[in-house]
Amino acid sequence: MRTLVLVAALLAAGCTHVAPYERGYLARPAMALEESQGMAHAMEKIYPSKEAASGGAAVGGGGCGCN
Amino acid sequence: MAATEKPDGALGALMRAALALPILALAPRAGAAVVGEVGASVLGYKERGLMKATEPILFGHAVIDDVWEVEASAVGDILTGASPQLVTNVNGQPMQVLTGASVYERRHAGDAKVGRRFGELTLSASAAVSNEHDYHSKAGGLEARRDFNDKNTTLTLGYGRANDHVGSSIDPNLDAPRTTDQYLAGVTQVLSPVALVQSSLAYANGRGWYNDPYKFTLTFYPDQPLPSLLPDLRPDHRRSWAWLTRYRRHFAAQRGTLQADYRYFQDDWGVRAHTLEVAWDQQLDERWSLRPALRYYTQSAADFYSPVIPRPAPRFQSSDQRLAAFGGLSPSLRATLRLDSVIVEGAVGYVHDASSLRLGGSGTSAFETLRAVYGILSVTYPF
Amino acid sequence: MALHRYRFRAMAAENEVHVHEPSADRAAAWASRAMAEVARIEAKYSRYRPDSVVSRINAAAGGAFVEVDAETLELLRYAGACHAQSGGLFDATSGVLRRAWHFDSPRVPAREELEPLLALVDWHAVEIEGSRVRLGKPGMELDFGGFGKEYAVDRAARVLAESGARSALVNLAGDLAVVGAQPDGSPWRVGVRHPRKAGMALASIPVSSGAVATSGDYERFVEVDGVRHCHILDPRTGLSARGFQSVTVHAPSCLVAGSATTVAMLKGREEGLEWLGALGLPYLAVLGDGAIVNRFEGTGNPA
Repeated sequence: MRTLVLVAALLAAGCTHVAPYERGYLARPAMALEESQGMAHAMEKIYPSKEAASGGAAVGGGGCGCN
Repeated sequence: MAATEKPDGALGALMRAALALPILALAPRAGAAVVGEVGASVLGYKERGLMKATEPILFGHAVIDDVWEVEASAVGDILTGASPQLVTNVNGQPMQVLTGASVYERRHAGDAKVGRRFGELTLSASAAVSNEHDYHSKAGGLEARRDFNDKNTTLTLGYGRANDHVGSSIDPNLDAPRTTDQYLAGVTQVLSPVALVQSSLAYANGRGWYNDPYKFTLTFYPDQPLPSLLPDLRPDHRRSWAWLTRYRRHFAAQRGTLQADYRYFQDDWGVRAHTLEVAWDQQLDERWSLRPALRYYTQSAADFYSPVIPRPAPRFQSSDQRLAAFGGLSPSLRATLRLDSVIVEGAVGYVHDASSLRLGGSGTSAFETLRAVYGILSVTYPF
Repeated sequence: MALHRYRFRAMAAENEVHVHEPSADRAAAWASRAMAEVARIEAKYSRYRPDSVVSRINAAAGGAFVEVDAETLELLRYAGACHAQSGGLFDATSGVLRRAWHFDSPRVPAREELEPLLALVDWHAVEIEGSRVRLGKPGMELDFGGFGKEYAVDRAARVLAESGARSALVNLAGDLAVVGAQPDGSPWRVGVRHPRKAGMALASIPVSSGAVATSGDYERFVEVDGVRHCHILDPRTGLSARGFQSVTVHAPSCLVAGSATTVAMLKGREEGLEWLGALGLPYLAVLGDGAIVNRFEGTGNPA
């Protein structure tokens, strides 16, 4: 736990601390790190079925038979 | 408060201008314990004469009492079934040939995720299933997310396991298992009131059946009367790493947001890949936004990839294009319309994969260039 | 669930924050964050402070562009939207008119005093390029007084909500916003000041969400020959608004509520009532002759 806090503190060192009430812009949809559900599910079918690389974002998803 | 139903005219204009500011302009609905959205999306795809449109993918997401979070999706797809493919050099150069009729198949898939917040910590569990005639997959995952520093920093840890069974419509005896363990560690950091970054590392360790039952290689040698034929032969394990970094930066004066994602992928089959996607989300007015994007992809070939069978025949060999060295460029454009009661998103994109697009230029010459166009329409109802 | 009340002074007025919260420590922490946010906005946009953003822009009027931040840009855009929606009546550059009006001596300024000032009241001369702002004519002044307090109310409410408050109220000298209803689900009861009888409430309105703002001719005024002239001045003539004693509006945001009341006062009786009706928001207006037009539901007798 202490290691985690230390990591968090190191990371935060170079950044401005943003208070909860200053998060207005961060809450905008365009600032989201994940795609909207509708787009994400559709996109899953396009690139991974053509490329060897996959993953990086989440675990627990199954594969597809993409042949 | 009737005015919040559909403000238009002067009130609408004032409300929309006010909402651009970081204020609490919408009254928290009294007693609204459940907040979320449901929606559906459809994908249309066209590649070299092949046209495909999926049935609507249904999805939903809800936060209950600010403590529970649930997410789910379901799809009943009609896919072109696997068509046996042969890579043959009968005409001198290796090329792909379809040897059987395409079969239309259904795929049913669904996933669900449930999470509960305990102060700064959120724990979630997820499950996913996917079933086709020749492929079955079941997966589950656990995730822990912890906020630090007024949510300026967030750490995420995840573990998942997937169990797949591979079958074949040309070999009814095939029912081969494959198990993959997945591990994820990530950190999200707020950089300023207008910027944030996320970086995560995923490791996957899989063992079991990786051969593609529908891919064959047929090679003619000038000094041999008979050609050699090999099915797809891959190792029975695969270890891979993926490192994904995402950056978001809002420019208030321009009313736009820069989005940049980079992923590095490496596995023990010899594949190294880079993916870079850069997009600009431009707010046009209070309802419309437009997002042009450009995605670049490059990968090296797997060690055992070859469009012709080497001599002597190796232990592992595959002529599957997905393991070749190539690069791809994919521009896309998305438009979003946000109304009070519905959000509509439409996107079109073009995918161009070719050996010449590989970083450094020297992709697999036998790689068959891919040109595809896709369109997505998604409708979401918030509640 | 205890109700904690905090009084504080800001923006030259008495203000208060009410929070329903079992823990006194938590309520105090939330309230002090909200008060700090009000102080921040006051410091940033007060024309009485030489180092405020507004003062810097005013000092450079007719000269160079001034670099401003995102919050200022969005507030200016909001002021622009109000200007457009009110047919030019809401003008954030009309503060210069105060140089002619002195509400401590009972006289109406002459036309010769107002004309040179009216030449400086010109929202269209406010130039915004990217993140830089400039007032086109020397002597022009930006004045956030027409919406700064309402913005501070909205921001304070947001700070309370994001801190975790579920039932709270912020009141800056009569412009207020609530976070949720009272803990038992019943609405907050807000008294509307009587425009002619100090210390008395005209009506009490139930508020369980959003914000309430009031504009009135009783805050700063002079009476000359039996006619009242108040501090709400028409940017086209430089003269006092006429037709209402006060207007109170309930909207999802205090910014919008405050703009609605100000514009109604400036439009005068006929057009003002039309404007309020077209907005579709609940309102209570006291006409110049004292008659009351009440478009609120559930108003009760003054509590």
